[in-house]
Amino acid sequence: MVRTGSGGRSSAPTLGRAIELISIAALSVAVSGIATAIAGLVAIPAALWIVLGHSRLRGALFALFAAGLGLPPVAVGLAIAYAFWRSGPLGFFDLLYTPWAMGIAQTIIIVPLVGTLAVVALRGGDPTLPMQLRGLAIPRRDRLRLLAREVAPSLAAALLAGFGRAIAEVGAAQMTGGNIEGQTRVLTTATMLAVGKGEFAQAFTYVAVLLGIVAVATGAALALQRRWA
Amino acid sequence: MGVTAHDLIVKRGPFALNVAGFAGGPSGTAVLGPNGAGKTTLLLALQGLLPAGGAIERPARSAAVFARPAILRGSALWNIAVLVESVLGAGADEARERARQMLDKVGLSARRDADARTLSTGERQRLALARAVAIDPRALFLDEAFANVDADARPALRSFVAEYCAQASCDVVVATSSLADVFALCSEAVVLADGAVTYEGSSRDLQQASDPFVQALFAEGAVTGQAIR
Repeated sequence: MVRTGSGGRSSAPTLGRAIELISIAALSVAVSGIATAIAGLVAIPAALWIVLGHSRLRGALFALFAAGLGLPPVAVGLAIAYAFWRSGPLGFFDLLYTPWAMGIAQTIIIVPLVGTLAVVALRGGDPTLPMQLRGLAIPRRDRLRLLAREVAPSLAAALLAGFGRAIAEVGAAQMTGGNIEGQTRVLTTATMLAVGKGEFAQAFTYVAVLLGIVAVATGAALALQRRWA
Repeated sequence: MGVTAHDLIVKRGPFALNVAGFAGGPSGTAVLGPNGAGKTTLLLALQGLLPAGGAIERPARSAAVFARPAILRGSALWNIAVLVESVLGAGADEARERARQMLDKVGLSARRDADARTLSTGERQRLALARAVAIDPRALFLDEAFANVDADARPALRSFVAEYCAQASCDVVVATSSLADVFALCSEAVVLADGAVTYEGSSRDLQQASDPFVQALFAEGAVTGQAIR
């Protein structure tokens, strides 16, 4: 028989459980949201440099991004866990089993994805646009504003993909966060624990919330794209 | 101050353009030559859009129409109005009114509210001409700007440009493969081959040029019965 929760099939969710669910969901959004923001700050300028720059290193960086797409999250989790282990090279930061370690791991996992998608999006646009805007005597500040407006929908899609991957990631979150109740438990690690305990109703609730968050983020990105279009 | 250049040297990979002297004027200077001769390179260098050696002068407010104009997301009207606001510092209403006038002059009034990205290639070129003139430039650089426009609309568009340049004392430099463009817009002509000037002088005397490309143009004009002034 499948157990559906510690209180049984008929038990109503308690206020405590609801609060716990909200705090887990909020931590998931916060960690992945910050990881996405930092990944964007790193990957988007890098993508702009790859597309618009002249250095020979651009190809190498793009290859690094592309290679990073296949980077197993568990490998990133292992590296971060090792680095921040008490006796590890970065152990003095005392960050292991904190949301910070989870955020660092998620950032490393999604930078290649955001960077690659941003490069593809920027290359899909007209590569002569920056030059053509210069050729119309537009002041530099307005040129940058117009360029940003042109690429914003594509970059929003890249960031959304990064957020989706970050919030759905479980291996690295488990290794670097430790799934500590009230501190580092996020929706994916909570789901894993619930399944391990046979609490499928709880697990389905976590996954439903996770899907809801991704749906809201996707809806918001699409709404922004429609508005910009 | 008009468009002038002395000892102009541009290097793009294995290609090198050398122009000892160039002097533009409101009565128009045509730049002719076969594909790869350096016509676009010369126009870009004169606009300061390519690194170039030598001395180049041009008015601060110059505008270019590229062979494949980059169009911004938004309506045709907005594409012009946003430039008028930025370059001329006009208010929103004034900019929209000027945009309406310009679209009317290039025969795009009926498409003013259309998403500019849905315009045909010829309509995009009309829009690019309208927005270039809309910013009231003192130098206009046209790179095959009429190539994709309907043949029956080209004379009116050439007149629009010629009248503007005469009235505003705006230098116009026209890279083209059309003798009709040359004779409608330019009193002077420069012929390029492999990055070097093979003819420089009055466009009336162009037929005297020994350059094989120019001879081929005139031969084609004779075969097709093209009216050459």
